[in-house]
Amino acid sequence: MTQRATTPMILALLVTTMGFATLIFVQRATSPPLIYGAYYAGTLFALYLGVRLWLPHSDVLLLPIVTLLTGLGLVLIFRLTYNIPGVKSLALSQALWILVGSGTMLFIVLFFRNYSRLFNYKYLMVIAAFGLILMTFTPLGYEVNGAQLWVDLGPVNFQPSEFARIALTIFFAGYLADKRDVMAATSRTFMGIQLPAIKYFGPVALVWAGSLGLLIFEKDLGSSLLFFAVPLLMLYVATGRIAYVILGSILFMFGSFVTFLLFDHVRVRVEAWLDPWEDPDGTGFQILQSVFNIADGGLTGTGLGAGFSQTIPEVQTDFIFSTVASELGLVGATTVILAFLIFTYRGIKIALLAGDDASKLLAFGLTAMFAMQTLIIIGGVTKAIPLTGITLPFVSYGGSSVVGSFIITGLLLVISERSGRREAEELLPPEDRL
Amino acid sequence: MNVHLRRAFYLFAAGFVAMVGMLAYWQVYARESLANNPHNGLQTRRSIEAPRGLITAGDGTVLARSEGHKTKGGTVYERVYPQGAPFSNVVGYWSVRYGASGIEIAENSNLSGVTSDPVTLDDLINQMRGGRQPGNNVELTLDPELQRLAYEELGQTVSGRGSAMAIDPKTGEILALVTSPSYDPNNIDDNFPELIQDTAAPLIDRATQSLYPPGSTFKIITASAALKAGVKPTDTFFDPGYLDTPGYRVYNYQGKDYGELTLAKAFAFSVNVIFAKIAINEVGPQLLYETATDFGYGDPYDDFILPVTGSDLGYPVNQWVEGNTAQIAFGQDRVSSNVFEMGLVGATIANDGVMMEPRLVREVRSPDGIIIDRPAQSIRRRSLDANTAETVNQLMQGVITTGGLTQAEIPGVKVAGKTGTAEAPPGEPHSWFVSFAPADDPQIAVAVMVEHGGEISPKGDASTPAVTIARDIMAAYLKHEGG
Repeated sequence: MTQRATTPMILALLVTTMGFATLIFVQRATSPPLIYGAYYAGTLFALYLGVRLWLPHSDVLLLPIVTLLTGLGLVLIFRLTYNIPGVKSLALSQALWILVGSGTMLFIVLFFRNYSRLFNYKYLMVIAAFGLILMTFTPLGYEVNGAQLWVDLGPVNFQPSEFARIALTIFFAGYLADKRDVMAATSRTFMGIQLPAIKYFGPVALVWAGSLGLLIFEKDLGSSLLFFAVPLLMLYVATGRIAYVILGSILFMFGSFVTFLLFDHVRVRVEAWLDPWEDPDGTGFQILQSVFNIADGGLTGTGLGAGFSQTIPEVQTDFIFSTVASELGLVGATTVILAFLIFTYRGIKIALLAGDDASKLLAFGLTAMFAMQTLIIIGGVTKAIPLTGITLPFVSYGGSSVVGSFIITGLLLVISERSGRREAEELLPPEDRL
Repeated sequence: MNVHLRRAFYLFAAGFVAMVGMLAYWQVYARESLANNPHNGLQTRRSIEAPRGLITAGDGTVLARSEGHKTKGGTVYERVYPQGAPFSNVVGYWSVRYGASGIEIAENSNLSGVTSDPVTLDDLINQMRGGRQPGNNVELTLDPELQRLAYEELGQTVSGRGSAMAIDPKTGEILALVTSPSYDPNNIDDNFPELIQDTAAPLIDRATQSLYPPGSTFKIITASAALKAGVKPTDTFFDPGYLDTPGYRVYNYQGKDYGELTLAKAFAFSVNVIFAKIAINEVGPQLLYETATDFGYGDPYDDFILPVTGSDLGYPVNQWVEGNTAQIAFGQDRVSSNVFEMGLVGATIANDGVMMEPRLVREVRSPDGIIIDRPAQSIRRRSLDANTAETVNQLMQGVITTGGLTQAEIPGVKVAGKTGTAEAPPGEPHSWFVSFAPADDPQIAVAVMVEHGGEISPKGDASTPAVTIARDIMAAYLKHEGG
């Protein structure tokens, strides 16, 4: 029984087409070479057909949502950067990154159907992750906007942390699946809180603390938050022990306080969040411009292309959601949030249906990363929490981010394929089983 | 494990819902206050990128329009004021750097169009399509001919400083609201620093924002109070040429003494001593205070579309002693007013004691001509009963006929009016005239004030520039309105 979602797929492509049509015909934006649009639609539709063909039992809704979100991102990046004086046009390079991401995903779909092998190399994953993060401290690494996040590899520049966190999620999933029973069954208590055995918890804490520490020195606050929250959530799901969450929260508060005291860049972010009016043209400028633009959108938005979100520095990457809220209004922004929620829902569903612990934990870890990343940046640009630089998955401009998000989608697809196939086989009458 | 997976999902879902809540807070609840935040430059940017609506006079003359210039980044709009300085106190300016004033800011939500919620279906469609929405057009009640005429004549007086207000007493539509000197609102960004330093204060609207002693024009109010107290126009009073009050001696203008004369004649010749006597002996502080309040003294007019400085009697009534009452009776001491208020006083007498709501905006239309707002005429206050108002009307006609104020005459038209020569040391007195015409069917009421315009000639007569300006305004209006 092969499931299909051709209609959502076509709808997602239509939304993208309408977005471009609005910009070109109503806003009289100069038309980009239309052939690129056709490439984009062709690539994603081919990707969809390929996944249906090679992974017939995999989740059907993930790809239409990915198409919708990447399409929306492409429209917005085009709107924010194409043919605007003094701004480098980024739409074509984003389209290229979507192509690279699609290719990477196809590679996973074709060659990682037996993804469980990855868990055998879980310690290698840790080394790879640390290696990636450490690369930014080598001469290849360089600083952008005060954060040491980038690596220059000749033709391409990338943000290693986008990939390091996927590797670490694979490690945590594999390790916790092995040790979850022993980690849950501990009896030592401290002040009423049951403590895990150091022997089993040690490696987790070590990897956790190590990656966090490196990221904080990199000044990559957004990723630090993710690296902190995702393993904690995985630990909770693996052991079912709320103690980990409480302990984690205490650690978090303590850690936040220490980083606040130790690092100027953290203090600046928090102060800009608490009182941006203190320095409205300096440290508070970015968040205030974001809030002004969001408010400017109102219920129905200014209309695509009619807002002023170009006033926000870095709008095409971290602040792209402000453009969504400004130009599509509360209605449009809620729809986009709903799309992210549906992706999260499908991810959790994949975790629920997965047959083994490691698969469950991997699907959950990847989904949690996706959901937390979305919440951290939307919360940041709406001033719900302090701003930490991180991309909005699939929508923001950025090669590493797009490719990373496609890798997450690919892994979720192969996990869902396995449980979907098992389910399909169970549904067959016994005599038809092989 | 599945239980915890579900719980984690609820956590994420709660997070997403909270984000929608946060957005709703900014986009619905806090939207207005953020839009008006001084650090928010989006509105001014919008005004550059989208054309603002037109501001037109009552006959369609364009007073403000947006002119587009093609630039590399798209079309940029600039505000142009074809009629320039005579209208700038009303129309205002729109500066990216220095903010805005007048109708430009008061009607901004109409003129800018985009900040308002969609009103017509076209608005909604346009907004959904994200098109640049031109703002709505605002039509004023001003008669451009009167506005220009008054501005020119005020500019030609000795001081060149003064103000005028003309109003249709039956509808409350303001026909002219003029201040001199004024400024050219075009290129305000370049000229503003100089204008703000100018000692002649061209940015101040003398018609609405400055206050002056109204002098004898205040006798319209004192006479109304006297009639309410039972005094008849034919009642006689004796004027020895002065009146002593504790600590203050009242003289007549230029020290004349008139002997015995009626209230009507005392009004026509503007005899201070008699008005002081009537105010003290017949009216009393309380009734004079109440009558002035009924005419709008003490009213801040903060519901009016332009900022108005309210007229004032100077002291709370319980602090008036005889000396104050005597001087307040002829608009001196600390009484302060402007042509906006005194024009309304004249219009109220003209309209049988009923003050209509003064209005400057006739209607607001969307760019495609659909009426969005048309303020209805309404009564602001009932100041006098019709009979008393008619009697004051007669008294005011007597100023021209009995008083021999030939400068105010318009051939074939009965004119009613009251002069004022308000002492304003150290300079020459201010010249005032409050009037309306035709007196038997008033079409227009006018108040004019010329700062230090009451120049004393060697013969001892004060020149009365305010009278001729008011007459010219009324004559011009009756000529083109009467056909």
